[in-house]
Amino acid sequence: MSKIQEVAEAVEKGKAKLVGGLVQEALDEGCDPVEILNQGMIDAMGVVGEKFKNNEIFVPEMLVAARAMKKGVEVLKPHLASGGTSSAGKMILGTVAGDLHDIGKNLVGMMIESAGFEVIDLGIDVPIEKFIEAVNENPDATLVGCSALLTTTMPALRDTVAALNEQPFRDRIKIMVGGAPITQAFADEIGADGYSEDAASAAQLAKKLAATA
Amino acid sequence: MTSRERVLAAINHKEPDYLPMDLGSNVSAGISGQAYANLKEHLGMKEGHTRIYDVVQQVAQPEECVLDLIGADALDVARVYNEKDSDWYDVTLSNGKIGQWPAWFQPVKTADGGYDVYQDGVLIARMPKGGMCFDQMIFPYKEDYPDNYDDLDHAMGQVLWSALVHGPWDHMKDFPTEDAFYADLRERCLKLRASTDRALMITCGCNLFEWGTFLRRMENFLMDIYAEPESVEELIEQLMVRHLHTLEKTCAAVGDVVDILRFGDDLGMDKNMFMSAEKYRELFKPYHTKLNEYVHTHSHMKTFLHSCGSIYGVMGDLIDAGYDIINPVQTTAYQMDPARLKKEFGKDITFWGGGCNTRSVLNHATPEEVYEYTCRMIDIFHHDGGFVFNTEHNILPDVPPENIMAMYRAVQNARK
Repeated sequence: MSKIQEVAEAVEKGKAKLVGGLVQEALDEGCDPVEILNQGMIDAMGVVGEKFKNNEIFVPEMLVAARAMKKGVEVLKPHLASGGTSSAGKMILGTVAGDLHDIGKNLVGMMIESAGFEVIDLGIDVPIEKFIEAVNENPDATLVGCSALLTTTMPALRDTVAALNEQPFRDRIKIMVGGAPITQAFADEIGADGYSEDAASAAQLAKKLAATA
Repeated sequence: MTSRERVLAAINHKEPDYLPMDLGSNVSAGISGQAYANLKEHLGMKEGHTRIYDVVQQVAQPEECVLDLIGADALDVARVYNEKDSDWYDVTLSNGKIGQWPAWFQPVKTADGGYDVYQDGVLIARMPKGGMCFDQMIFPYKEDYPDNYDDLDHAMGQVLWSALVHGPWDHMKDFPTEDAFYADLRERCLKLRASTDRALMITCGCNLFEWGTFLRRMENFLMDIYAEPESVEELIEQLMVRHLHTLEKTCAAVGDVVDILRFGDDLGMDKNMFMSAEKYRELFKPYHTKLNEYVHTHSHMKTFLHSCGSIYGVMGDLIDAGYDIINPVQTTAYQMDPARLKKEFGKDITFWGGGCNTRSVLNHATPEEVYEYTCRMIDIFHHDGGFVFNTEHNILPDVPPENIMAMYRAVQNARK
């Protein structure tokens, strides 16, 4: 098994303590850092996401894999040409105003990061203006993700998307929405570009939308 | 049959005289203060108050006039405390209606119209402007497990579910000793027992998985279950000491008065369980079994588990562990098809819930659709006992009163 395959296996199994060392060994062997990132980690997380979607593994297994990848990225980062790992793009993420829930949103952030994106997490109870401000401050952001956990904060999600849709930057971003009560039909109705029902699907959707943004 | 006999018949899997039903027997089978105030206005009930006895979830304590109208068969013994008008004060709810909070609950109104709760200067809970519930703001073991558990009681006390606990536990601190509280609780429950035919429920929580998530934060504790199971087990052992103590005192005080003891531990999400069935069996089932055994050996009470989400994968294990009742039966979660649940587990456990979906039907459908949906669920669950009608979790603020009454018309129809 190649060193990169070993990295991939350790990421998939969530072996946080091993990944850093394996990445260092791969670098010492002269492996290309970009290859270690793409094949050893991002692809491995793709496999993890797919298994989660198919109900072959559970949320904690996805979380430990993402945590393991993070350990590997720490070792890898100084060796990447740009010093960054956000090859796929940049996303602004947050839970809408009036909603303090972030477990699902954090999972989405983690999986999207694991797919190679840089995620700017605005946190919880995010006012509409803060979303707009963040997109303006990050001209390279191509995705905006808005989350609502409560049926009672669905209107705030609607308002947030409506406001983003009015902005001059609308053409350069794609808007993703999610949260327990949200459906594809609701996402369509409020004018979002995409909806996904779980964190693994969100990462796949982010890749797809970023490619067309 | 009295209400109590009706509920107990259902739990004993005997066909009751008619469909037993519940609103408000515990804080996950009730109605939010906002929805309750709307309902009373719709019904033209001007007397009484919207008293919010679970301040965390902002759940109301339904009054006798409402329970009589809908024919409810069970009560939460929380109501033995905060009986006087002076135990409550008026508050304007997010929908503009007037409700009441318990006198002991004094959150600080923030500049933007939300509410914060502090304990010893530490922000422990927050409800944003226009909010419907308080959320946890401090996770005592978020960074790591402690070196020892000397401070566990203090750490648990900072978590809103403990710091802002509902009745009867909200009055425990008023008594000079623990025994004095339990003696008073017994006296009050006996009085309630003598005054009502309804079945009585007491909430003891005794959560294990959930306490892990409250202390460590959800993401961390979920990872611990897979990456650090020995730390998880150590924490559970510590929690068990406290939970078994609560059960010992509760069973001794009211085990012959109260009919049902409610436990809680959310094991599922919409899409699946939080963990595999194997992990549940390894880490949690042995302790859930001990909790049930204690109650069954030391009282007459039936045991009730509140667990949201998809739990089909461990239904057999929960029955093995000794639970008599499962709630809220989230029928739209993964693998939770109601007909299959009834067919496979209906003889061995009572479904307390599942009567109407609160996520998309009760709040968003028309009254006619709600009525038809509810009739369908009753048809699936009610035969051969083993069913107490209840919604799939609390009725939330956005539910139109017309829909609530359409749901109860379906219950009345099933009772003919």
